[in-house]
Amino acid sequence: MISDFLEADLTDLSWLISTRELSSTEVVTAALKRLRSLEPRLNAFITVLDEQARAAAKAADDEIAHGRHRGPLHGIPITIKDMFATSGVRTTGASKILLDWVPNFDAHIVERLDAAGAILIGKTNLDEFGHGGTSTLSHFGPVHNPWNTERIAGGSSGGSAAAVAARIGPLSYGTETGSSVRRPASYCGIVGFKPTFGIISRYGSFRGAWTQDHVGIFARSVKDVALGLDATAGYDSCDPSSVQQNSPTYASHLDGNVKGLRLAVPRRFLEGTESAVKEAFEVALKTLAEAGCVIDDLDIPELSYAAMTSMITSSAESAGINRRWFRECHQDFVPHVARGLAVGMTITASEYLTVQRARHRIREALHQAYKKIDLIVSPTTPRVAPPISDGVRGNGDNTHHASNNHSNLLRFPSMLGLPGCSVPCGMTPDKMPIGMQLIGAWFSDQTVLNAGLAYQSLSDWHRQKPPVDH
Amino acid sequence: MSETERFVHRLALLGGVEFSTTDLEIITSEIAEMERILTELEEFAHDTPWVSLQTQPIEKKSDHD
Repeated sequence: MISDFLEADLTDLSWLISTRELSSTEVVTAALKRLRSLEPRLNAFITVLDEQARAAAKAADDEIAHGRHRGPLHGIPITIKDMFATSGVRTTGASKILLDWVPNFDAHIVERLDAAGAILIGKTNLDEFGHGGTSTLSHFGPVHNPWNTERIAGGSSGGSAAAVAARIGPLSYGTETGSSVRRPASYCGIVGFKPTFGIISRYGSFRGAWTQDHVGIFARSVKDVALGLDATAGYDSCDPSSVQQNSPTYASHLDGNVKGLRLAVPRRFLEGTESAVKEAFEVALKTLAEAGCVIDDLDIPELSYAAMTSMITSSAESAGINRRWFRECHQDFVPHVARGLAVGMTITASEYLTVQRARHRIREALHQAYKKIDLIVSPTTPRVAPPISDGVRGNGDNTHHASNNHSNLLRFPSMLGLPGCSVPCGMTPDKMPIGMQLIGAWFSDQTVLNAGLAYQSLSDWHRQKPPVDH
Repeated sequence: MSETERFVHRLALLGGVEFSTTDLEIITSEIAEMERILTELEEFAHDTPWVSLQTQPIEKKSDHD
Protein backbone atom coordinates (compact mmCIF):
# COMPACT_ATOMS: atom_id res chain seq x y z
CA MET A 1 0.00 0.00 0.00
CA ILE A 2 1.54 3.27 -1.08
CA SER A 3 1.55 6.06 1.52
CA ASP A 4 -0.68 8.83 0.19
CA PHE A 5 1.97 11.47 0.58
CA LEU A 6 4.34 9.57 -1.74
CA GLU A 7 1.72 10.30 -4.40
CA ALA A 8 2.11 14.01 -3.73
CA ASP A 9 4.35 16.03 -5.98
CA LEU A 10 7.39 17.87 -4.69
CA THR A 11 5.54 21.17 -4.38
CA ASP A 12 2.80 19.74 -2.15
CA LEU A 13 5.21 17.59 -0.16
CA SER A 14 7.42 20.59 0.47
CA TRP A 15 4.47 22.61 1.76
CA LEU A 16 3.43 19.81 4.12
CA ILE A 17 6.97 19.54 5.50
CA SER A 18 7.50 23.30 5.80
CA THR A 19 4.24 23.68 7.76
CA ARG A 20 5.16 20.63 9.86
CA GLU A 21 1.97 18.80 8.95
CA LEU A 22 4.32 16.04 7.91
CA SER A 23 7.88 15.43 9.04
CA SER A 24 10.79 14.73 6.75
CA THR A 25 11.41 11.63 8.84
CA GLU A 26 7.95 10.27 7.98
CA VAL A 27 8.39 10.93 4.28
CA VAL A 28 11.94 9.59 4.08
CA THR A 29 11.02 6.48 6.07
CA ALA A 30 8.06 5.80 3.77
CA ALA A 31 10.19 6.34 0.65
CA LEU A 32 12.87 3.95 1.94
CA LYS A 33 10.24 1.36 2.78
CA ARG A 34 8.77 1.64 -0.69
CA LEU A 35 12.22 1.43 -2.24
CA ARG A 36 12.96 -1.79 -0.33
CA SER A 37 9.63 -3.35 -1.22
CA LEU A 38 9.91 -2.62 -4.95
CA GLU A 39 13.65 -3.15 -5.43
CA PRO A 40 13.38 -6.93 -6.02
CA ARG A 41 11.16 -6.13 -9.04
CA LEU A 42 12.86 -2.97 -10.35
CA ASN A 43 16.58 -3.31 -9.56
CA ALA A 44 16.66 0.48 -9.81
CA PHE A 45 19.29 1.05 -7.10
CA ILE A 46 22.95 0.27 -6.59
CA THR A 47 23.36 1.80 -3.13
CA VAL A 48 20.66 2.63 -0.57
CA LEU A 49 21.47 5.11 2.20
CA ASP A 50 19.10 4.06 4.99
CA GLU A 51 20.97 5.28 8.06
CA GLN A 52 22.43 8.38 6.47
CA ALA A 53 19.05 9.39 5.04
CA ARG A 54 17.20 8.87 8.33
CA ALA A 55 19.82 10.94 10.19
CA ALA A 56 19.61 13.72 7.59
CA ALA A 57 15.81 13.70 7.79
CA LYS A 58 15.92 14.06 11.56
CA ALA A 59 18.36 16.96 11.21
CA ALA A 60 16.02 18.58 8.66
CA ASP A 61 13.06 18.20 11.02
CA ASP A 62 15.05 19.80 13.86
CA GLU A 63 16.10 22.69 11.65
CA ILE A 64 12.58 23.31 10.37
CA ALA A 65 11.22 23.11 13.93
CA HIS A 66 13.62 25.93 14.80
CA GLY A 67 12.23 28.08 11.99
CA ARG A 68 14.99 27.50 9.49
CA HIS A 69 13.32 26.19 6.33
CA ARG A 70 15.86 26.25 3.52
CA GLY A 71 13.46 26.04 0.59
CA PRO A 72 11.39 23.67 -1.56
CA LEU A 73 13.80 20.72 -1.36
CA HIS A 74 14.35 20.83 2.40
CA GLY A 75 13.54 17.42 3.88
CA ILE A 76 12.51 15.92 0.52
CA PRO A 77 13.77 12.39 -0.33
CA ILE A 78 15.64 12.37 -3.63
CA THR A 79 17.76 9.96 -5.64
CA ILE A 80 20.73 10.41 -7.99
CA LYS A 81 22.26 8.29 -10.71
CA ASP A 82 25.36 6.46 -9.52
CA MET A 83 27.40 8.60 -11.91
CA PHE A 84 27.85 11.35 -9.31
CA ALA A 85 30.61 11.29 -6.69
CA THR A 86 29.36 11.23 -3.10
CA SER A 87 31.83 11.83 -0.29
CA GLY A 88 32.02 8.78 1.98
CA VAL A 89 29.52 6.82 -0.12
CA ARG A 90 30.60 4.36 -2.80
CA THR A 91 30.28 5.55 -6.37
CA THR A 92 30.43 2.80 -8.97
CA GLY A 93 29.20 4.06 -12.34
CA ALA A 94 27.56 0.59 -12.42
CA SER A 95 31.01 -0.81 -13.14
CA LYS A 96 33.00 -3.66 -11.63
CA ILE A 97 36.04 -1.41 -12.00
CA LEU A 98 34.84 0.92 -9.24
CA LEU A 99 32.94 -1.62 -7.18
CA ASP A 100 34.36 -0.34 -3.89
CA TRP A 101 35.37 3.22 -4.75
CA VAL A 102 34.47 5.69 -2.03
CA PRO A 103 35.23 9.28 -3.09
CA ASN A 104 36.40 11.92 -0.64
CA PHE A 105 34.50 14.70 -2.38
CA ASP A 106 31.00 15.50 -3.60
CA ALA A 107 29.91 16.20 -7.15
CA HIS A 108 28.67 19.74 -7.71
CA ILE A 109 25.00 18.77 -7.72
CA VAL A 110 25.44 16.73 -4.55
CA GLU A 111 26.89 19.80 -2.81
CA ARG A 112 24.04 21.95 -4.08
CA LEU A 113 21.34 19.46 -3.10
CA ASP A 114 22.87 19.09 0.34
CA ALA A 115 22.85 22.87 0.74
CA ALA A 116 19.18 22.89 -0.30
CA GLY A 117 18.42 20.37 2.44
CA ALA A 118 17.42 17.50 0.12
CA ILE A 119 17.74 14.00 1.59
CA LEU A 120 19.64 11.54 -0.60
CA ILE A 121 18.09 8.11 -0.10
CA GLY A 122 19.80 6.14 -2.85
CA LYS A 123 22.06 5.99 -5.90
CA THR A 124 20.40 4.60 -8.99
CA ASN A 125 21.34 1.91 -11.49
CA LEU A 126 22.47 2.72 -15.06
CA ASP A 127 24.33 1.48 -18.10
CA GLU A 128 28.01 1.23 -17.18
CA PHE A 129 29.42 4.79 -17.00
CA GLY A 130 26.41 5.92 -19.03
CA HIS A 131 27.38 3.90 -22.13
CA GLY A 132 24.03 2.67 -23.37
CA GLY A 133 20.37 3.36 -23.95
CA THR A 134 18.74 0.44 -22.15
CA SER A 135 20.04 0.29 -18.54
CA THR A 136 20.76 -3.38 -19.17
CA LEU A 137 24.52 -2.85 -19.50
CA SER A 138 25.12 -2.63 -15.76
CA HIS A 139 27.42 -4.78 -13.64
CA PHE A 140 24.46 -4.88 -11.24
CA GLY A 141 21.97 -6.26 -13.75
CA PRO A 142 19.18 -4.59 -15.74
CA VAL A 143 16.71 -2.00 -14.49
CA HIS A 144 13.08 -3.06 -14.94
CA ASN A 145 10.32 -0.75 -16.09
CA PRO A 146 7.64 -0.12 -13.40
CA TRP A 147 4.92 -0.26 -16.09
CA ASN A 148 5.94 -3.75 -17.13
CA THR A 149 8.89 -5.34 -15.41
CA GLU A 150 9.69 -7.47 -18.44
CA ARG A 151 10.53 -4.29 -20.35
CA ILE A 152 13.51 -1.96 -20.14
CA ALA A 153 13.36 1.36 -18.33
CA GLY A 154 15.54 2.94 -21.03
CA GLY A 155 18.97 4.29 -20.46
CA SER A 156 21.33 5.20 -19.42
CA SER A 157 19.59 6.86 -16.46
CA GLY A 158 17.01 4.06 -16.20
CA GLY A 159 17.20 3.62 -12.42
CA SER A 160 16.39 7.29 -11.83
CA ALA A 161 13.41 7.21 -14.19
CA ALA A 162 12.08 3.96 -12.73
CA ALA A 163 12.42 5.32 -9.17
CA VAL A 164 10.44 8.51 -9.88
CA ALA A 165 7.77 6.62 -11.84
CA ALA A 166 7.42 4.16 -8.96
CA ARG A 167 6.97 7.04 -6.44
CA ILE A 168 10.31 6.42 -4.70
CA GLY A 169 10.93 10.12 -4.13
CA PRO A 170 9.57 12.90 -6.35
CA LEU A 171 12.90 13.95 -7.87
CA SER A 172 15.98 12.31 -9.33
CA TYR A 173 19.07 13.47 -11.19
CA GLY A 174 20.68 11.69 -14.11
CA THR A 175 23.00 12.45 -16.98
CA GLU A 176 22.52 12.59 -20.74
CA THR A 177 25.13 12.24 -23.48
CA GLY A 178 22.87 10.97 -26.27
CA SER A 179 19.32 10.67 -24.96
CA SER A 180 19.85 9.22 -21.48
CA VAL A 181 17.34 11.46 -19.70
CA ARG A 182 14.60 11.97 -22.31
CA ARG A 183 14.40 8.32 -23.42
CA PRO A 184 14.00 6.72 -19.96
CA ALA A 185 11.59 9.49 -18.97
CA SER A 186 9.45 8.65 -22.01
CA TYR A 187 9.61 4.90 -21.40
CA CYS A 188 8.67 5.30 -17.73
CA GLY A 189 5.89 7.89 -18.18
CA ILE A 190 7.47 10.82 -16.34
CA VAL A 191 9.06 14.19 -17.16
CA GLY A 192 12.75 14.26 -18.10
CA PHE A 193 14.50 17.58 -18.66
CA LYS A 194 17.99 18.31 -19.92
CA PRO A 195 19.02 21.97 -19.74
CA THR A 196 21.22 23.92 -22.13
CA PHE A 197 24.85 22.77 -22.05
CA GLY A 198 26.61 24.60 -19.21
CA ILE A 199 23.55 25.42 -17.07
CA ILE A 200 24.25 22.66 -14.51
CA SER A 201 27.87 21.85 -13.63
CA ARG A 202 29.02 18.33 -14.35
CA TYR A 203 31.85 18.47 -11.83
CA GLY A 204 32.20 15.15 -10.05
CA SER A 205 30.23 13.04 -12.52
CA PHE A 206 31.87 10.45 -14.72
CA ARG A 207 32.32 11.63 -18.26
CA GLY A 208 30.69 9.77 -21.15
CA ALA A 209 31.70 12.29 -23.82
CA TRP A 210 32.68 15.67 -22.43
CA THR A 211 31.32 17.80 -25.28
CA GLN A 212 27.90 16.13 -25.05
CA ASP A 213 27.49 15.32 -21.34
CA HIS A 214 24.70 17.05 -19.41
CA VAL A 215 23.11 16.70 -16.00
CA GLY A 216 19.35 16.15 -16.28
CA ILE A 217 16.34 16.02 -13.99
CA PHE A 218 13.45 13.57 -13.56
CA ALA A 219 10.13 14.36 -11.87
CA ARG A 220 6.44 13.73 -12.44
CA SER A 221 5.64 17.35 -13.21
CA VAL A 222 7.36 20.18 -15.05
CA LYS A 223 6.94 22.39 -12.00
CA ASP A 224 8.94 19.94 -9.90
CA VAL A 225 11.62 19.80 -12.58
CA ALA A 226 11.90 23.60 -12.39
CA LEU A 227 12.35 23.42 -8.62
CA GLY A 228 15.04 20.79 -9.12
CA LEU A 229 16.71 23.00 -11.70
CA ASP A 230 16.72 26.06 -9.43
CA ALA A 231 18.51 24.04 -6.76
CA THR A 232 21.34 22.87 -9.00
CA ALA A 233 21.84 25.39 -11.84
CA GLY A 234 24.49 28.08 -11.65
CA TYR A 235 28.07 28.85 -12.56
CA ASP A 236 30.77 26.51 -11.29
CA SER A 237 34.40 27.22 -11.98
CA CYS A 238 35.18 23.49 -11.69
CA ASP A 239 33.37 22.69 -14.94
CA PRO A 240 35.07 24.29 -17.95
CA SER A 241 31.75 24.36 -19.80
CA SER A 242 29.78 26.04 -17.02
CA VAL A 243 28.23 29.32 -18.13
CA GLN A 244 27.94 32.59 -16.21
CA GLN A 245 24.30 33.03 -15.26
CA ASN A 246 22.05 34.84 -12.84
CA SER A 247 20.68 33.02 -9.79
CA PRO A 248 18.25 30.51 -11.26
CA THR A 249 14.55 31.33 -10.88
CA TYR A 250 12.95 28.99 -13.38
CA ALA A 251 10.17 27.85 -11.04
CA SER A 252 8.97 31.35 -10.18
CA HIS A 253 8.93 32.30 -13.87
CA LEU A 254 6.79 29.36 -14.93
CA ASP A 255 3.57 30.77 -16.32
CA GLY A 256 2.44 28.21 -18.90
CA ASN A 257 1.71 31.02 -21.34
CA VAL A 258 2.35 29.64 -24.81
CA LYS A 259 0.14 31.95 -26.84
CA GLY A 260 1.82 32.54 -30.18
CA LEU A 261 4.68 30.12 -29.45
CA ARG A 262 5.96 28.74 -32.77
CA LEU A 263 6.28 24.95 -32.77
CA ALA A 264 7.83 23.00 -35.62
CA VAL A 265 7.39 19.30 -36.41
CA PRO A 266 10.24 17.67 -38.38
CA ARG A 267 7.94 15.15 -40.03
CA ARG A 268 10.47 13.42 -42.26
CA PHE A 269 11.93 11.80 -39.11
CA LEU A 270 8.62 10.36 -37.95
CA GLU A 271 8.64 7.60 -40.57
CA GLY A 272 8.56 4.25 -38.83
CA THR A 273 6.97 5.64 -35.69
CA GLU A 274 4.50 3.17 -34.15
CA SER A 275 0.89 4.04 -34.89
CA ALA A 276 -0.12 4.39 -31.21
CA VAL A 277 2.79 6.79 -30.65
CA LYS A 278 1.94 8.80 -33.75
CA GLU A 279 -1.72 9.05 -32.76
CA ALA A 280 -0.90 10.17 -29.22
CA PHE A 281 1.51 12.75 -30.58
CA GLU A 282 -1.05 14.21 -32.99
CA VAL A 283 -3.57 14.53 -30.15
CA ALA A 284 -0.92 16.26 -28.03
CA LEU A 285 -0.23 18.70 -30.89
CA LYS A 286 -3.94 19.58 -30.97
CA THR A 287 -3.83 20.23 -27.23
CA LEU A 288 -0.86 22.57 -27.66
CA ALA A 289 -2.65 24.32 -30.53
CA GLU A 290 -5.68 24.85 -28.29
CA ALA A 291 -3.34 26.37 -25.72
CA GLY A 292 -2.32 28.97 -28.29
CA CYS A 293 0.74 27.47 -29.99
CA VAL A 294 1.21 27.95 -33.72
CA ILE A 295 2.22 24.60 -35.18
CA ASP A 296 3.81 23.97 -38.55
CA ASP A 297 6.04 21.46 -40.29
CA LEU A 298 9.71 22.25 -40.78
CA ASP A 299 12.32 20.39 -42.75
CA ILE A 300 15.93 20.43 -41.55
CA PRO A 301 17.65 17.92 -43.84
CA GLU A 302 21.00 18.29 -42.05
CA LEU A 303 19.47 16.47 -39.09
CA SER A 304 19.75 13.27 -41.16
CA TYR A 305 23.42 13.22 -40.15
CA ALA A 306 22.88 13.95 -36.44
CA ALA A 307 22.77 10.40 -35.06
CA MET A 308 25.96 9.23 -36.69
CA THR A 309 27.81 12.45 -35.93
CA SER A 310 26.80 12.17 -32.29
CA MET A 311 27.69 8.48 -32.17
CA ILE A 312 31.22 8.91 -33.58
CA THR A 313 31.84 11.93 -31.35
CA SER A 314 30.85 10.09 -28.19
CA SER A 315 32.67 6.94 -29.28
CA ALA A 316 35.97 8.81 -29.73
CA GLU A 317 35.59 10.90 -26.59
CA SER A 318 34.62 7.98 -24.36
CA ALA A 319 37.61 6.00 -25.64
CA GLY A 320 39.84 8.92 -24.72
CA ILE A 321 38.29 9.18 -21.26
CA ASN A 322 38.58 5.44 -20.56
CA ARG A 323 41.93 4.91 -22.26
CA ARG A 324 43.81 3.94 -19.10
CA TRP A 325 41.15 1.59 -17.72
CA PHE A 326 40.69 0.07 -21.15
CA ARG A 327 44.36 -0.87 -21.31
CA GLU A 328 44.68 -1.95 -17.69
CA CYS A 329 41.41 -3.82 -17.12
CA HIS A 330 39.28 -3.99 -20.26
CA GLN A 331 38.01 -7.41 -19.15
CA ASP A 332 36.26 -5.73 -16.20
CA PHE A 333 34.00 -3.63 -18.42
CA VAL A 334 30.61 -5.03 -19.44
CA PRO A 335 31.54 -6.86 -22.72
CA HIS A 336 29.35 -4.70 -24.97
CA VAL A 337 30.85 -1.55 -23.46
CA ALA A 338 34.40 -2.90 -23.83
CA ARG A 339 33.82 -3.61 -27.52
CA GLY A 340 32.41 -0.11 -28.02
CA LEU A 341 35.46 1.42 -26.38
CA ALA A 342 37.70 -0.68 -28.62
CA VAL A 343 36.04 0.77 -31.70
CA GLY A 344 36.41 4.27 -30.29
CA MET A 345 40.11 3.67 -29.62
CA THR A 346 40.66 3.19 -33.34
CA ILE A 347 39.26 6.59 -34.39
CA THR A 348 42.10 8.89 -35.41
CA ALA A 349 42.44 12.56 -34.50
CA SER A 350 41.84 13.74 -38.05
CA GLU A 351 38.70 11.62 -38.28
CA TYR A 352 37.38 13.06 -35.01
CA LEU A 353 38.01 16.59 -36.25
CA THR A 354 36.24 15.86 -39.52
CA VAL A 355 33.22 14.70 -37.55
CA GLN A 356 33.31 17.98 -35.61
CA ARG A 357 33.02 19.84 -38.91
CA ALA A 358 29.89 17.84 -39.66
CA ARG A 359 28.60 18.69 -36.21
CA HIS A 360 29.21 22.37 -36.89
CA ARG A 361 27.22 22.19 -40.11
CA ILE A 362 24.26 20.68 -38.23
CA ARG A 363 24.63 23.33 -35.51
CA GLU A 364 24.46 26.10 -38.10
CA ALA A 365 21.34 24.56 -39.65
CA LEU A 366 19.63 24.51 -36.25
CA HIS A 367 20.77 28.06 -35.53
CA GLN A 368 19.04 29.22 -38.73
CA ALA A 369 15.92 27.14 -37.95
CA TYR A 370 15.51 28.68 -34.49
CA LYS A 371 15.34 32.14 -36.05
CA LYS A 372 11.94 31.09 -37.43
CA ILE A 373 10.62 28.88 -34.65
CA ASP A 374 10.66 28.55 -30.86
CA LEU A 375 10.50 24.80 -30.30
CA ILE A 376 10.97 21.60 -32.24
CA VAL A 377 8.41 19.05 -31.13
CA SER A 378 8.20 15.31 -31.82
CA PRO A 379 7.50 11.99 -30.15
CA THR A 380 10.42 11.43 -27.75
CA THR A 381 10.86 7.88 -29.01
CA PRO A 382 9.26 6.18 -32.03
CA ARG A 383 8.10 3.22 -29.97
CA VAL A 384 7.47 2.43 -26.32
CA ALA A 385 9.86 0.52 -24.05
CA PRO A 386 10.90 -2.77 -25.68
CA PRO A 387 11.24 -6.10 -23.84
CA ILE A 388 14.48 -6.66 -21.92
CA SER A 389 14.90 -9.84 -23.97
CA ASP A 390 15.38 -7.73 -27.13
CA GLY A 391 18.81 -6.71 -25.81
CA VAL A 392 20.72 -3.55 -26.71
CA ARG A 393 19.21 -3.39 -30.19
CA GLY A 394 15.66 -3.26 -28.82
CA ASN A 395 15.47 0.52 -29.00
CA GLY A 396 15.62 0.27 -32.81
CA ASP A 397 18.22 3.02 -33.16
CA ASN A 398 19.99 3.52 -36.44
CA THR A 399 23.17 5.52 -36.09
CA HIS A 400 24.89 3.99 -39.11
CA HIS A 401 23.38 5.90 -42.01
CA ALA A 402 22.37 9.40 -42.99
CA SER A 403 18.68 8.66 -42.81
CA ASN A 404 15.24 9.73 -41.72
CA ASN A 405 15.50 7.44 -38.69
CA HIS A 406 14.04 8.91 -35.51
CA SER A 407 17.41 8.40 -33.75
CA ASN A 408 18.43 11.73 -35.24
CA LEU A 409 15.73 13.47 -33.20
CA LEU A 410 16.85 11.76 -30.02
CA ARG A 411 20.51 12.57 -30.55
CA PHE A 412 20.68 16.15 -31.82
CA PRO A 413 19.72 18.00 -28.61
CA SER A 414 22.61 16.63 -26.54
CA MET A 415 25.05 16.80 -29.41
CA LEU A 416 24.29 20.51 -29.82
CA GLY A 417 23.64 21.38 -26.16
CA LEU A 418 19.99 22.37 -26.67
CA PRO A 419 17.45 22.29 -23.82
CA GLY A 420 14.95 19.44 -24.13
CA CYS A 421 12.05 18.08 -22.15
CA SER A 422 10.10 14.86 -22.50
CA VAL A 423 6.56 14.89 -21.11
CA PRO A 424 4.12 11.96 -20.97
CA CYS A 425 1.52 12.33 -23.75
CA GLY A 426 -0.28 9.02 -24.04
CA MET A 427 -0.49 5.32 -23.44
CA THR A 428 -0.53 2.32 -25.74
CA PRO A 429 -3.45 -0.15 -25.54
CA ASP A 430 -1.21 -2.44 -23.46
CA LYS A 431 -0.56 0.40 -21.01
CA MET A 432 2.95 1.49 -21.86
CA PRO A 433 3.68 5.24 -21.65
CA ILE A 434 4.34 7.47 -24.66
CA GLY A 435 6.40 10.68 -24.49
CA MET A 436 6.58 13.93 -26.45
CA GLN A 437 9.77 15.99 -26.55
CA LEU A 438 10.01 19.77 -26.72
CA ILE A 439 13.41 21.05 -27.86
CA GLY A 440 14.30 24.73 -27.61
CA ALA A 441 17.07 26.99 -28.82
CA TRP A 442 20.19 27.54 -26.71
CA PHE A 443 19.27 29.12 -23.33
CA SER A 444 15.54 29.00 -23.98
CA ASP A 445 15.15 26.61 -21.04
CA GLN A 446 12.34 28.71 -19.58
CA THR A 447 10.39 28.53 -22.85
CA VAL A 448 10.75 24.75 -22.94
CA LEU A 449 9.55 24.43 -19.35
CA ASN A 450 6.64 26.83 -19.95
CA ALA A 451 5.48 24.77 -22.91
CA GLY A 452 5.75 21.58 -20.85
CA LEU A 453 3.74 23.18 -18.05
CA ALA A 454 1.10 24.41 -20.49
CA TYR A 455 0.71 20.90 -21.88
CA GLN A 456 0.54 19.29 -18.44
CA SER A 457 -2.10 21.76 -17.31
CA LEU A 458 -4.33 20.47 -20.13
CA SER A 459 -3.58 16.76 -19.83
CA ASP A 460 -3.30 14.17 -17.09
CA TRP A 461 -0.94 11.59 -18.54
CA HIS A 462 1.65 12.55 -15.93
CA ARG A 463 -0.77 11.51 -13.19
CA GLN A 464 -1.04 7.89 -14.40
CA LYS A 465 0.40 5.36 -11.97
CA PRO A 466 2.36 2.26 -12.99
CA PRO A 467 0.87 -1.03 -11.76
CA VAL A 468 4.08 -2.02 -10.02
CA ASP A 469 2.35 -2.71 -6.69
CA HIS A 470 0.25 -5.53 -8.10
CA MET B 1 41.90 -10.73 -46.70
CA SER B 2 39.97 -11.05 -43.41
CA GLU B 3 38.55 -7.95 -41.69
CA THR B 4 41.08 -8.43 -38.88
CA GLU B 5 43.90 -8.21 -41.45
CA ARG B 6 42.18 -5.36 -43.27
CA PHE B 7 42.04 -3.28 -40.10
CA VAL B 8 45.37 -4.27 -38.63
CA HIS B 9 46.48 -0.62 -38.63
CA ARG B 10 43.44 0.35 -36.56
CA LEU B 11 43.65 -2.61 -34.22
CA ALA B 12 47.24 -1.56 -33.43
CA LEU B 13 45.67 1.46 -31.71
CA LEU B 14 44.23 -0.88 -29.05
CA GLY B 15 47.64 -0.80 -27.41
CA GLY B 16 48.10 -4.54 -27.15
CA VAL B 17 44.71 -5.23 -25.56
CA GLU B 18 43.55 -8.63 -26.80
CA PHE B 19 40.00 -9.78 -27.50
CA SER B 20 38.54 -13.18 -28.26
CA THR B 21 38.01 -14.10 -31.90
CA THR B 22 34.27 -13.57 -31.53
CA ASP B 23 34.74 -10.14 -29.99
CA LEU B 24 37.27 -9.20 -32.67
CA GLU B 25 34.77 -10.10 -35.38
CA ILE B 26 32.18 -7.81 -33.81
CA ILE B 27 34.74 -5.02 -33.33
CA THR B 28 36.05 -5.19 -36.91
CA SER B 29 32.55 -5.26 -38.30
CA GLU B 30 31.81 -2.09 -36.29
CA ILE B 31 35.03 -0.54 -37.58
CA ALA B 32 33.98 -1.31 -41.16
CA GLU B 33 30.66 0.49 -40.49
CA MET B 34 32.51 3.39 -38.93
CA GLU B 35 34.78 3.79 -41.95
CA ARG B 36 31.73 3.96 -44.19
CA ILE B 37 30.12 6.53 -41.89
CA LEU B 38 33.28 8.62 -41.85
CA THR B 39 33.28 8.73 -45.63
CA GLU B 40 29.68 9.97 -45.59
CA LEU B 41 30.40 12.57 -42.95
CA GLU B 42 33.54 13.81 -44.69
CA GLU B 43 31.51 14.56 -47.79
CA PHE B 44 28.76 16.20 -45.72
CA ALA B 45 31.26 18.33 -43.79
CA HIS B 46 33.15 19.50 -46.86
CA ASP B 47 33.51 23.32 -46.96
CA THR B 48 32.43 23.66 -43.33
CA PRO B 49 34.75 25.79 -41.15
CA TRP B 50 37.08 24.10 -38.70
CA VAL B 51 35.87 24.87 -35.21
CA SER B 52 38.20 25.45 -32.30
CA LEU B 53 37.07 25.84 -28.72
CA GLN B 54 38.92 27.35 -25.82
CA THR B 55 37.96 27.20 -22.17
CA GLN B 56 38.72 29.16 -19.05
CA PRO B 57 41.10 27.81 -16.41
CA ILE B 58 39.44 25.24 -14.17
CA GLU B 59 39.57 25.20 -10.39
CA LYS B 60 40.27 21.90 -8.70
CA LYS B 61 38.49 20.68 -5.62
CA SER B 62 40.29 17.38 -5.22
CA ASP B 63 43.26 15.54 -6.62
CA HIS B 64 40.98 12.95 -8.12
CA ASP B 65 39.30 14.97 -10.83
